[in-house]
Amino acid sequence: MTKPSRRSITVAASLFVVAVGAVFLWPDSTPRSAKVFQPPEVKAPRLTPEQYRSAITDVFGAHIDLGGRLEPVMREGGLLMVGASSVSVSPAGMEQFDAMAEAISEQVLLREENRRVFLACTPAKSDAPDDRCASEFLAPVGERLFRRPLTEAELRSFVSAAAAATKALGDFHAGLAMSLSAMLTSPQFLFRIPVIEVDPDRSEGYRLDAYSRASRLSFFLWNTGPDAELLRAAREGELDSDRGFRRQVDRMMASPRLEEGVRAFFYDMLRFDTFETLSKDPALFPKFSRREMADAQEQTLRTLVYLLLDQQGDYRDIFTTKKTFLTPSLAAIYQVPLAHEGPNGGVEGWEPFEFSAEDPRAGILSHASFTALHSPPGRTSPTDRGKALREVLMCQSVPAPPPDVQFTVVQNTADPIHKTVRQRLIAHSTVSSCAGCHRIMDPMGLALENFDGAGEFRLVENGQPIDTSGDLDGVEFSNSLELAQVVRDNPAIPSCLVKRMTAYAFGQDLTQDQRVFLKQMRVQFRESGFKVPDLMRAIVTRPEFFQAAPARAAVTVDTITASVRR
Amino acid sequence: MWGRNGGSRGRTSLQRGAALGMVLSLLVVSPTSFAGGGQTRTFVVSFLAQQFTNNPGDCPGGVNPEDERGQIAVALRTMGHSSAEVRRLMAGWDQGGDGERKVNEILERRALINGEPVNPMTHPEAVPDPQLKFVEAKQTVGFDLDGKPSADDFVDLLTGKPGIDNQLFRALGCNQNFRGTWTSPSAYGEWVWVQLRDSQPAWLMTITDAPAGKPGEVIVRIQRSLDHLRSNMDGSPRWHATYRADPDPRSINEYRGYLRDGELTISRQPRFSILWNGLSAPVLNLSQFQLRLKQDARGQWDGLIGGFQPWRELYFAFSHNGIVGDRPGLWHAMKKAADAEPDPTTGQNLAISVAYRFTAIPAFVTAPGSQVRTAMRERPKA
Repeated sequence: MTKPSRRSITVAASLFVVAVGAVFLWPDSTPRSAKVFQPPEVKAPRLTPEQYRSAITDVFGAHIDLGGRLEPVMREGGLLMVGASSVSVSPAGMEQFDAMAEAISEQVLLREENRRVFLACTPAKSDAPDDRCASEFLAPVGERLFRRPLTEAELRSFVSAAAAATKALGDFHAGLAMSLSAMLTSPQFLFRIPVIEVDPDRSEGYRLDAYSRASRLSFFLWNTGPDAELLRAAREGELDSDRGFRRQVDRMMASPRLEEGVRAFFYDMLRFDTFETLSKDPALFPKFSRREMADAQEQTLRTLVYLLLDQQGDYRDIFTTKKTFLTPSLAAIYQVPLAHEGPNGGVEGWEPFEFSAEDPRAGILSHASFTALHSPPGRTSPTDRGKALREVLMCQSVPAPPPDVQFTVVQNTADPIHKTVRQRLIAHSTVSSCAGCHRIMDPMGLALENFDGAGEFRLVENGQPIDTSGDLDGVEFSNSLELAQVVRDNPAIPSCLVKRMTAYAFGQDLTQDQRVFLKQMRVQFRESGFKVPDLMRAIVTRPEFFQAAPARAAVTVDTITASVRR
Repeated sequence: MWGRNGGSRGRTSLQRGAALGMVLSLLVVSPTSFAGGGQTRTFVVSFLAQQFTNNPGDCPGGVNPEDERGQIAVALRTMGHSSAEVRRLMAGWDQGGDGERKVNEILERRALINGEPVNPMTHPEAVPDPQLKFVEAKQTVGFDLDGKPSADDFVDLLTGKPGIDNQLFRALGCNQNFRGTWTSPSAYGEWVWVQLRDSQPAWLMTITDAPAGKPGEVIVRIQRSLDHLRSNMDGSPRWHATYRADPDPRSINEYRGYLRDGELTISRQPRFSILWNGLSAPVLNLSQFQLRLKQDARGQWDGLIGGFQPWRELYFAFSHNGIVGDRPGLWHAMKKAADAEPDPTTGQNLAISVAYRFTAIPAFVTAPGSQVRTAMRERPKA
């Protein structure tokens, strides 16, 4: 059998990536049948750990200890937020929710100093049920937790539960705490269960009701549930008028809490949750500990917030910006000077920093949050870095390696012949089944080889000079700075952001039926000068954002059903 | 330069931080930078301890009693107790309780002035000399501090040069916790450094090409930082960290030195003085100061500094730490071995020749009044 040539493999692989990209990203790929927006089926995403934390903080304050960790959400379509729409709760996860609910409710109602704040009424008897006092507590708290007013039946049920528990325990506050605990383990709190109503602007169409609209808006922009003002607006019908709705959007976009929303989105998109399982060989990378891992994430998030929100900058510039924020610990990894003078002589803290023009670092690809995150524990991996660039930032798919592939050559950093990873990858890529995919990943990763497995600068590997040249889809570069510029100018970069941000906002990947919306967002993003806040505003102010189709099946979890109010 | 846009989001600490960051960036000296045509390299001291470089057989009479029991027995004998009395007292000490208390009372009263007991640690001269054994060797490491040959001089193990003055090694090198090699520091040196590195301000070294100097001529500044040494999670010193220089003139030492083929030398200088830590000495004072360092491929300096050090200051540093053994014995040993700066009245030498192991790694230094300098990468990391 004739072996395929290197060029044919490259072309085939590139075509694969282009084809995938075309399906997901390119305006011209929108089929005629998809010119009209078809609302997606409603989903009920589970709260992410951060959203759970925010919800509790919003209602009870930051001093309440959650008392545990939430079951992780799986990533789907590149986002945890999308995965959150298709997860349930395992028995172990439910136990964890239950334990946390108990811990929270005990702190809120059984600690005198907290109870004084949260419970305005005093029960007639401390060891007997008091439905009036229980209602006074449960109704407003329930509205904040469920992100809508409790129905009469729901309130009655929680008050009855409190009364029954009070009788059993002989303590009003303990009984009320049990009812609050039940509220905190309710699917109505743990899942964002949408309620849809007939859309007055579309015959036979549906949209989210006012409270569900408020939730979707708030979780997207602030990564938390609606605040009291937004719930009021929903209750009083302000969200039904264009003027009232825009007033709320303006308020939320101007709020400092927008930063939380932006941070949550990029934390998800950049897969920073995977830092939880990242490990580095301390003998090889003694500077890179858990503290530096946390700092690396924070560096990138601060940089993004600064560039995209504070400066209202061009999203593409995140790949070339010389401006960032560093701690002294990170600065030592980056081999740049940074002193911090904090209160009481503290030396750790954040400072703005600008890399010099000749410094090899520019943009988030040179941050440790990229170079270290996408490296194995004891070495670099141009393949992992290139794959991450394709998949995370360009929304392209790279095929999985063949099941029988041998990585021995690539992983042997002590190879006396193939001293650099480029040489090892070339040796590995003589296997034709590997060559094609490596061709689409490795060149970008190799351009970042000046940054070791912990993101520290180096010029040589095993005594051999490092060659950082390569190309991205035919555009050549000779080092990481040039790669940064090439990535910045690649049209897949802004298209990918639109795809990810809309999926994040909807809680699901948009399908063929909604592709027209993606196209409109891409156009608006480009016309805005690739400003992320403008894209966020564009998404939330389109009626499509709140349009919905009833779930064809129940929303998978037994207890959750999207109700339709006609 | 980079505050937030106007509008409703308002100013934050980022903006305030930006101002401070800007100021700090103006004052920094990079590990390697150029200014006015002269190259400047900055480092932080990553290890410093008295260097004891022993060889097998250099204590032919054996090491001085290394455990507490042995030291006590020697002290009792030195005070004039007979062998039988010492055996009886030590048996009681072994039992603990009253027997131990009795021995402790004897030891606490072993220093007498005009027949009255005084604290033996603060009055070691009033304690009978236990006659600690000295090193009997021809080789160790150090410097020819006085430029004069003498019978007590050593030959340098590393350079082969004769005339090496290191009488601290001779006086203490037969005590177990002071014994070490070039590759393995003494237990005392290691212990003290571990205490010091996190509790005292770091020391900085700056090497600048001497203006209009001969090739290789450099200005070497050694001074204190306001910050302590930065360490990695495994305890190793952190490379390329940033330190603020302490402008206190009491700790600034600046000399003309020579840098050739990766070796930095400072020949005999009248004085070196830098604030230190009470655990070692409040001030490290050295006369006839010298320095000799070599740089490895990664940019780390390793070598020695040396000079004559007031031995009483050394004693009072040792007196804090039981790890060193019988402390009044050290006082007598150093007094006998002292080899410089005789007291004009008594003739007793007040200083003793010493050598300190000194390593330094690349660091950034913020120096008031300096200009922005362009960072140059240190030697590539393999």
